[in-house]
Amino acid sequence: MATRRTSKSLLDRRLHVVVGKGGVGKTTVACALALVGSKLGKKTLLAEVDGAGRAAALLGASPGALGEAKPVRPNLSVMSVEGTSALQEYLEIIVPVKRVLKAVFESRIYRYFVAAAPGLKELMTIGKIWYEAERLDETTGERSWDLVILDAPATGHSLQYLGMPRAAHDVFRAGLVGRESQRLIDLLTDADRTAVSLVTTAEEMPVNETLEMYAKLRDELQMPLGAVFVNRVHRTRLDASHLAALDSCSDGDAKSRDEPLLTEIRDRAREEIGWAAINAHYLERLANEAKLPIVELPFLFAEEFGAAECQQLAALVEAAVVSSARRQRGRA
Amino acid sequence: MAGLSEIIRNHDVIVCAGSGGVGKTTTAASLAVYAALSGKRTIVMTIDPAKRLANALGVQNLSSGGTAATVEAVGGGRLSAMMLDQKGAWDQLVERHAPSPEVRDKILRNRFYMHLSEAFAGSHEYMAIEQLCELHESGEYDLIVVDTPPTRHALDFLEAPQRLADFLDRSVVKWFVRPYFSASWTTMRFVNRTVGFLFRRLEDATGISALTEVSEFFTSMSGLFENFEDRVRRVYELLRAPTTGFVLIASPEEQVLKEAEYFCQQVGALGMGLRGVVFNRVHREMPGRRGDTTANVLKRLSRGCTLDENMAAALAENFERYEALGRGDGLRMEAFRELLSTDVEVVEVPNFTSDVHNIDGLRAMHEFLCAA
Repeated sequence: MATRRTSKSLLDRRLHVVVGKGGVGKTTVACALALVGSKLGKKTLLAEVDGAGRAAALLGASPGALGEAKPVRPNLSVMSVEGTSALQEYLEIIVPVKRVLKAVFESRIYRYFVAAAPGLKELMTIGKIWYEAERLDETTGERSWDLVILDAPATGHSLQYLGMPRAAHDVFRAGLVGRESQRLIDLLTDADRTAVSLVTTAEEMPVNETLEMYAKLRDELQMPLGAVFVNRVHRTRLDASHLAALDSCSDGDAKSRDEPLLTEIRDRAREEIGWAAINAHYLERLANEAKLPIVELPFLFAEEFGAAECQQLAALVEAAVVSSARRQRGRA
Repeated sequence: MAGLSEIIRNHDVIVCAGSGGVGKTTTAASLAVYAALSGKRTIVMTIDPAKRLANALGVQNLSSGGTAATVEAVGGGRLSAMMLDQKGAWDQLVERHAPSPEVRDKILRNRFYMHLSEAFAGSHEYMAIEQLCELHESGEYDLIVVDTPPTRHALDFLEAPQRLADFLDRSVVKWFVRPYFSASWTTMRFVNRTVGFLFRRLEDATGISALTEVSEFFTSMSGLFENFEDRVRRVYELLRAPTTGFVLIASPEEQVLKEAEYFCQQVGALGMGLRGVVFNRVHREMPGRRGDTTANVLKRLSRGCTLDENMAAALAENFERYEALGRGDGLRMEAFRELLSTDVEVVEVPNFTSDVHNIDGLRAMHEFLCAA
């Protein structure tokens, strides 16, 4: 079965789709993967869907125009993809007569159609990703990108996006839409070219959603799966003995003066032990129920999460990617 | 400061808005429990509660979507809960508005509709609002608390009715609502060159049989929403009423707050009232901390007890890490507050180490939400 194939390591496939529930750090992981790809010498494009330039910001750059690749580091560009502009771009490719196009773009019916046609924006977004993943450089004839990372919309919506080529193909079997949709399906389900990774935190709701998504990606969309990135994991060397020891100190002269601080220290220790327990529980559940490599990323205690923290996670992702590649070689 | 209790007293609709993953559902449920305990006949419309929370509210069953369940455990039967069925929102719309069973079946069986109905703009959001209006008009409740669907942008929820109205804009839909091969289409194609071009392209692109099906779909849809514009107008009237209050739920993270800021501006621009902001998952810096360093305090303490140096260092390190989080959250929330008008009530809920999944958990939030 195509989805079970693990003949390639994590970033060897040209298209890497990153999905996850809102608020779990999906964009962060996508950025980290893109940083790793570029460091490994791959010409990398990080494409963000409806993302308002978050990915660019995390990489310490300002976003470029819609649908345009903006270089932000050596070997790394970011792009904001949006359905309406992707459609316009697509029509410009298939309809060479500029004057006709202008009339079309300005007509009310066109604008209505774009706004209302169900699935059109989703389809065009995936189409644009396909175009970038397959595109050849005009001068050199080489691939424009060795690696395209797609920061997909939050879980429910990404199913809508990733499922759209199939829906469109079923409705419009004949004709251009049917043919183009088939090409998108081919790319999305090809284990040699594509992988989908899931991002989650090790908590109840995100893990539930991740396991649901995992099943849908595998069974309904039949997409090849990459890894589960478990973000913001608390691991601590604190345990009950620390709390007990702290309690044993609470007598004596120092108590009254230091009590407020001690209470805080105790509460924070409990908090950390509590999160570590919750995270361990849901990590185990993920390991049992999702048959995928798990990449654990730590919770970062930072006043502000910015480019530096993103780099820190990228280093950990890189270690995971490199070791997965090594395991592959070992097996071969 | 009474937190949000004043807002609960003065409103009959409270809409909880915010981007995904910030604890909207739990907050909405907690506010509803508070209202019921204070004597209001209350219903909470929830979208996608965690299983155990759904159990606690008695809405665990998907089949209960659309009907209200009384939560016996709270306030002497004054609390009801309802879970909106996220799937099949359009099917419900069609069933509700179809002028006849024949039209209904024709639409539901249409191949174009079957494959793409999930992708029609704003159906979930619109269904939630339509449900809200119905509950409001029924007069059975003193307060309706609405948990909004997870949207890419919090604002999608508010724009859904208008988008749907645009989708069904009669002046444009009428182009599509006639049999595809009828004379008027043919005439149109000759009269209007742009339209002619568009349709030739569309035929190429989609295959004629598919286009026929699309046309049939729109033909059936016409008349489905006879007084739709009127409904949309009433929906916005309710959302703009002074007795409808918006409560924004956020977490003190950079990305979430950026989105929240935009939401606040737009809610105002749409003439709707933002009454409160709830910060969930807040890390708090220790208030009024001064004097000795943590390490020194622990060192002093460790004389004559089992707290060894390593343990003390680990505890101190952990504490300082959380202080850093607290500092960051504090600064971001402070900056956000400055953007808000002074009559918006702001409350902070700490980052609980356990999931809130029962009525007691919801009540424990009242201390922070309602200063109760």
